Amino acid sequence: MTTAVSFRPRDLVVNEDGTGHLVGSRCPTCGAHYFPTRQVCAGCLTEDLETIPLPTTGTLYTYTVVHRSTPAFETPYVLGYVDLPGPVRVMGQIDAEPDDVEIGMTVELEIVPWGTDEEGTPLLGYRFAPGGER
Amino acid sequence: MTEVYVIGIGMTEFGKHPDRTAADLGAEAVRGAIHDAGIDPRAIETAYAGHVFQPMVTGQQVLAQVGLAGIPLANVENACSSGSTAIRGSFIDLLAGVADVSLAFGTEHLTGAFKGAFTPGEDDPEAAVGATMPAVYAMRARRYMEEFGLTREQLARISVKNKRNAALNPLAHFKKDVTIDDVLMAKPIAEPFGLLDCSPVSDGAAAVVLATGDWVRRHGEQSRAIRLRASALRTGKVETAPSSMTFEELTRDTANDAYEAAGVGPEDIDFAEVHDCFTIAEVLRIEGLGLWEQGTYPAAVERGEADLGGRLPVNPSGGLLGKGHPLAATGVAQVVELVKQLRGDAGSRQIDGARVGIAHCRGGKAAGVEGAACTVQILTT
Ligand SMILES: [Zn+2]
Repeated sequence: MTTAVSFRPRDLVVNEDGTGHLVGSRCPTCGAHYFPTRQVCAGCLTEDLETIPLPTTGTLYTYTVVHRSTPAFETPYVLGYVDLPGPVRVMGQIDAEPDDVEIGMTVELEIVPWGTDEEGTPLLGYRFAPGGER
Repeated sequence: MTEVYVIGIGMTEFGKHPDRTAADLGAEAVRGAIHDAGIDPRAIETAYAGHVFQPMVTGQQVLAQVGLAGIPLANVENACSSGSTAIRGSFIDLLAGVADVSLAFGTEHLTGAFKGAFTPGEDDPEAAVGATMPAVYAMRARRYMEEFGLTREQLARISVKNKRNAALNPLAHFKKDVTIDDVLMAKPIAEPFGLLDCSPVSDGAAAVVLATGDWVRRHGEQSRAIRLRASALRTGKVETAPSSMTFEELTRDTANDAYEAAGVGPEDIDFAEVHDCFTIAEVLRIEGLGLWEQGTYPAAVERGEADLGGRLPVNPSGGLLGKGHPLAATGVAQVVELVKQLRGDAGSRQIDGARVGIAHCRGGKAAGVEGAACTVQILTT
């Protein structure tokens, strides 16, 4: 059996135990956080940004239920913007029924199967599920 | 300071044109603009062509169709702001003294290139998790509802208003009024949006001919010339911290550049054409332009203030929601509408006493960036 791998290794690290985290940049000078990673800080133009694991628990800023998408995605699904400590905002699908989703709720990153690549290798992606400790 | 005038406008009907191409549509719009200007086509010295999902060098294909091949031309891609960015190219050529007369056009055969929901660029991390453009704007609408008490019906009224204006525009994609119920009952796309909250997939092209004030005076074309006072362009900043999704700093900053260059302020604007790709987008643009205070535009629409005949008509052409949205053609078509209104040639949708008009375009999306490209142009009689 082929081991599953991250769908976007630059953005998402998956550990052997099935946990994982998103990958961002942190500016050592002004403290700004970025996702995806950047080469230079947009705030102070510092060039030596640190690549860091982003926190896995955050707050839902807003969301929608998507009914029409590209062929790669089965609809409907809940999509949201999550503010992680940093602070930094990331987009992800929300693993919940639409009626159970509300702005301001606490959500936690989860690693989930994400189809396969062109060679049939299983991929892992991420979603956010309600719950988690802030 | 060199003065810049729009001396000719041309536009195809927007809609579904299954048997045509971007080059063919572009050529129709360009010929229309040259005829409208009443000039010898050989007076045109430079050209800029906006297109997004079309074959490379579509601009040269258009020039070849209309007998203008040979002059300098650059193809411009800035997502939905491609056409308005092309106009800025011509504007700068005139200011720089590179040309006295320049052509800008946008053309898109979108139904042939594209079906379904738009997404950010394929390699974008947000596209990878299921972002679509309707979803991104739907999330902004949801947040606006939470912060300002915007209702679903208020959103629907924007679509109703713009499609009502489109019904008066013979070149519009939508030619029929819709009701609030039609908007609410349309099939869901990304909640709270249904199909009628989203601009349609349209084919079409639009073109303008610009000339310097000196050239206009020398050639006696003043009567129909409309002054292009400012053509501002900005790119969205990378966010150093999460920002409000209910106010557009990018629109505000680009508008401030345009207001400063034109020597006017929001209080001087008589009417606006803005990038209403989705119903909420009209709210965000208008408040970003400073034409209404943040949080107040939806109620103003309800009171009819943005209607034709209202205090400040918004999207008299029908906007993207009504006139249609052939991406790169959109920004040029907005300027075409401004010119028609300022000439007093807008027929049944003419705004009385229109003297100062503003056009706003905004396109593209990338993760962590407030928006990709934004343009604001100000025209006056
Ligand atoms: Zn910094």
